Amino acid sequence: MKYYQPQSVNEAIEIAYSSQGIFLAGGTDLVLQMQKRKIQPKALIDLGRIPELHEIKETKEYIEIGSMATFSEMGKSKLIAEKASSLWLACQTMGSPQIRNQATIGGNLGNCSPAADGLPPLLALGTEAVLISGEGEKQMPLADLLGQTPLLSPGTLIVGFKIPKIHLLSGFAKLGRREALAIARLSVAVALELDGSKVGNVRVALGAVGRRAFLSDSLAHVLSQREFNESWLELGISQIQGVVRAALGDRASAPYKRVAVAGVFREAVASLRRQGGLDK
Amino acid sequence: MMVIECIVNDKKYVLEVDPQERLLDVLRNHLGLLGTKEGCGEGECGACTVILDGKTVNSCLVLAGQAHNSVITTIEGVGNRQSPHPVQKAFVEVGAVQCGFCTPGMVLSAKNLLDKNPHPSDEEIGVALSGNLCRCTGYDKILRAVKLAAEEGK
Repeated sequence: MKYYQPQSVNEAIEIAYSSQGIFLAGGTDLVLQMQKRKIQPKALIDLGRIPELHEIKETKEYIEIGSMATFSEMGKSKLIAEKASSLWLACQTMGSPQIRNQATIGGNLGNCSPAADGLPPLLALGTEAVLISGEGEKQMPLADLLGQTPLLSPGTLIVGFKIPKIHLLSGFAKLGRREALAIARLSVAVALELDGSKVGNVRVALGAVGRRAFLSDSLAHVLSQREFNESWLELGISQIQGVVRAALGDRASAPYKRVAVAGVFREAVASLRRQGGLDK
Repeated sequence: MMVIECIVNDKKYVLEVDPQERLLDVLRNHLGLLGTKEGCGEGECGACTVILDGKTVNSCLVLAGQAHNSVITTIEGVGNRQSPHPVQKAFVEVGAVQCGFCTPGMVLSAKNLLDKNPHPSDEEIGVALSGNLCRCTGYDKILRAVKLAAEEGK
């Protein structure tokens, strides 16, 4: 196996084309899969030495996060804490300190585990994914990208993510078997516009319910443009239980998750209220 | 094979490694630093924790190439019998070691916390050690030892 450490995105794309290698982000999933011989790459293209992929910055319209930003870096970013609080919350509980120091948001998408902690917040925040391949760069909604199979064509590199700056309040909660080091059994991210006591557009994303994280259209439809009060919360709970029921069908975990999602949704909304300063 | 350069415990090394090898393999098999343990081998237990460029990582999930041009501290670089690190001293004093397999990782996570935050709260200590599992002690004495080391550093 060959090992490359390109210094720029263009160099990485060229190596991917000529070597038929695969990209290595943080490695917390890929190294394990290689150890278990589930993946035996011809070549590895380590993206760790490309400075632009590590950036977290604010532009006029977006919060931009490079694909190689680690969960620790995002979890310590004041910008993400203030402008994308659901993502910030997800970064505090993902894996363990050691995993957070190494795992990246791009790798979270590339590996695309059903339980990937970073994806529900990004979906709820209306994030655009930026991809590059030999055919050029393209930007598309993360929700659309997650609907594609395969997720990425060979040689496509995840450059990063653009979160629109539209002053959303957002929250996140997950259910694991213990507090640290637990893979999410269920996760919920909620983002909404709030004008006084009235909710504008709402987006709710679920993780570990089915093959990939997804945005729920029906929740967005039912919960948008309403008063933000206790009956809104109760409506959300009954609706999200229906979404989980429909998504899981008669899978073994369905009876448990259908009930548990009520608490996870309630907690995600509570975290949104706390992060947004609604509960003092 | 590939060549990597790194500084381990203040000593510079140039090593020829297989790109499939993990940092854990490099430390144990190439350098003979057996203080770094392999527990689960899948990033769950933290027994293989080392400090890489100022951050704790599970060396079982880091490839040798990812450690190229980096600075690494293993338990052998923290202290020794003659001059133990304050965290090591506190572990002995409190009795925070039973079988000892998790101890190198625990000490490195604690040392890295105190290097960055010399006066952590109980919660901060808990979070810093949350990636290190211990199956003997029940954690209480380990947490107390880190607290003691922080207090002694004041």
